[in-house]
Amino acid sequence: MIEFRLDPRSGVAAYLQIVQQVRQALLLGMLAEGDRLPTVKQVVGMVAINPNTVLKAYRELEMAGLVVAKPGAGTFVTKTLTQSSITEHEPLRRELEAWLAKARAAGLTEAELDALIRATVRDTADEEK
Amino acid sequence: MIWLTWRQFRFQATVTLTILAAATIYVMTTGLRMHHAYAADIAACPHPEIGCRFFLSFQGSYNAEQRLLEMLVFAAPALIGIFWGAPLIAAELERGSHRMLWNQSVTPTRWLAVKLAILALAALLTAAVLSLLLTWWASPLDQRSNDRFAAMTFGTRGVTPLGYAAFAFALGTVLGLLIRRTLPAMAVTLAVFIALQIVFAAVLRPNLLPSTAATMPINATTMSQVQGIGTGPDPSGPVQIFRPGKADAWILSATNLENSSGHEISGNQVSTCLNNQSLDLTGIGDCLAPYNLHIDYTYQPADNYWPLQWLETGFYLALAALLGGACFWRIRRHRD
Amino acid sequence: MTAIVEAHALGKRFGARWALADCTLNIPPGHVVGLVGPNGAGKSTLLKLACGLLTPTSGSITVLGGRPGSGREQIAKVGYLAQDAPVEPALSIADHLRLGAHLNPRWDKALASARIASLGLDPKQKAGKLSGGQRAQLALTMATSKHPQVLILDEPVASLDPLARRDFLKLLMDTVAEHGTSVILSSHLISDLERVCDYLVVLAAAQVRLVGEVEELTAVHRWITCTRRDADTLPAGVEVVSAKHTDRQSTFMVRSDTPMPPGDWVSEPVGLEDLVLTYMERGPASAGPLAPRNVESAR
Repeated sequence: MIEFRLDPRSGVAAYLQIVQQVRQALLLGMLAEGDRLPTVKQVVGMVAINPNTVLKAYRELEMAGLVVAKPGAGTFVTKTLTQSSITEHEPLRRELEAWLAKARAAGLTEAELDALIRATVRDTADEEK
Repeated sequence: MIWLTWRQFRFQATVTLTILAAATIYVMTTGLRMHHAYAADIAACPHPEIGCRFFLSFQGSYNAEQRLLEMLVFAAPALIGIFWGAPLIAAELERGSHRMLWNQSVTPTRWLAVKLAILALAALLTAAVLSLLLTWWASPLDQRSNDRFAAMTFGTRGVTPLGYAAFAFALGTVLGLLIRRTLPAMAVTLAVFIALQIVFAAVLRPNLLPSTAATMPINATTMSQVQGIGTGPDPSGPVQIFRPGKADAWILSATNLENSSGHEISGNQVSTCLNNQSLDLTGIGDCLAPYNLHIDYTYQPADNYWPLQWLETGFYLALAALLGGACFWRIRRHRD
Repeated sequence: MTAIVEAHALGKRFGARWALADCTLNIPPGHVVGLVGPNGAGKSTLLKLACGLLTPTSGSITVLGGRPGSGREQIAKVGYLAQDAPVEPALSIADHLRLGAHLNPRWDKALASARIASLGLDPKQKAGKLSGGQRAQLALTMATSKHPQVLILDEPVASLDPLARRDFLKLLMDTVAEHGTSVILSSHLISDLERVCDYLVVLAAAQVRLVGEVEELTAVHRWITCTRRDADTLPAGVEVVSAKHTDRQSTFMVRSDTPMPPGDWVSEPVGLEDLVLTYMERGPASAGPLAPRNVESAR
């Protein structure tokens, strides 16, 4: 069973941290298809967080199609995110590599690249809300 | 809630029962012995109504025990007030556990009612037992000493200890509720209780029933009934009569020897009568009769003993009820 | 749905001082509510008014639709944990449970003993000899075993060490997960409450400063950092909560229901701690509106 951690200082909302940690577990193969996620009570026993937060995280995962909630039985993994699914996004990856080449040619340092990418991700995420 | 009150009270209850048990044993053993001795001495006395020679030494030999028991019965109400009453609520408020209890579906009123009822009952019972023990124990002494109205005696026999106990307990409780700290509540309870006891005994008790005024002329007949006559250390000072009137009455006030025009006379004027060693009280009365002297005094007759006991007890009980009511009123307005 | 706490212009005065003034709240059920404020802000007063230990000087308050402290049923609906978790020192833990079973109309004996056992406490231990954390756990067990609909906790973790704090919150959240109990807990440190609260009430100087669901509050507030400028040069529809200026730079905390349009500023999310502190500092003397900010989701 996976262990959850919560970092209140990271600036990332609690439920998002749960979502990310489930995604990570799927990526690393710690969770396989058909595995049951810890129950709300179990998560609350690991980290003292609001049960609603756990429910919210599981709902997000369900909406992303990664898990499915079976009433009375629990929440089960439906799809894994192994390295293979990264290869699904090969076209995007190539576009990204091209852009990075351009950005480095324009003289951006690694730190500036990082800041630019983070800010743009955040700002565009805001617009979509 | 009853069970909880018992658990919280367990220590005080144990101490009290131990003291009561010890007192009972002491009273029974010494008392039975004393009553036997008294019966024997009375049988040997030809005229008990007039006076028995054995009595003064009898009284003297039991003086220490009497004082001891009287101290116990006298102190009991105050101790009840300090150790039962004050901590009852103050200790609970101080440590905050009342907040837990009041959230366990006990309303503050019920909480208070159970505590007060159980401990008030215990206080009355304790006072009753102590008073009963002492009143029985001292009955031979009391019969002959004509001391019934003295402060120490009146307050430790009969029903008055119950009134004091109820009042002291209620006082401690309400002060504990108002002050909310145990030690200060104990101190104030003691102070107020003592103050009221002093004021009541000095000012109120003599006036609970109207007193009787009387004038006693000085002659052989009247002098044969008093206990003594004399001046103070100064032989030229005023002359006093000890215990005028009926022996068992409660003398509230008495003037010194006055002549027919109402002026105090001095000891020098009657020194021939007073200093004559061959005269007993009746003889002195005969000697003084020509001077037309008298004293004015006020008193409560012996018959008023029990009415006064009940009146005083009633007063203290009423006060206790008032204070108890104040507790309930207070807890409805100021819970926390 | 009946609100957990509904207060209208609630006020409480002690002598000349108003401990709580003009407090209007409507807290929906199903939340873990964090009541935050500095010491002396009125948190304890509000909680005591909610469980009937105090009566209002002005205004009114109902809890789960009933007047606080009015009879056994109302008391049974509300579980209260006073500050410093008082218990009866003369009684053992088992005695406490017996007392609870005896006094309350609803008492879950099995739950209570299971809790005590899972905490590793010895039932025969006298409550007076427990550590602070153990006392808090016992008091919480007493409050939850009567199956209340709402739990009210007054600074429950203030005097606990980090481990005891974590264990206490776990037990509390377990209760919420298991029974769906609503919770109101107060603290003067938001960091104590961040993990567990999804609804926030900020109190300062006897007044409510901010009320709302945590998620929505953090969604509508942002830090705006830009070159030195006046607050009214910001876009319309954006409410300025706080403003700080240096000679070159201005930092605003803004509240906006719609996303900030792009402009020559940097927009960053506001953390819960900053949010609480800003609204606490924003006293009646500041330029901001006096009315508490209410963020209610459409229901």
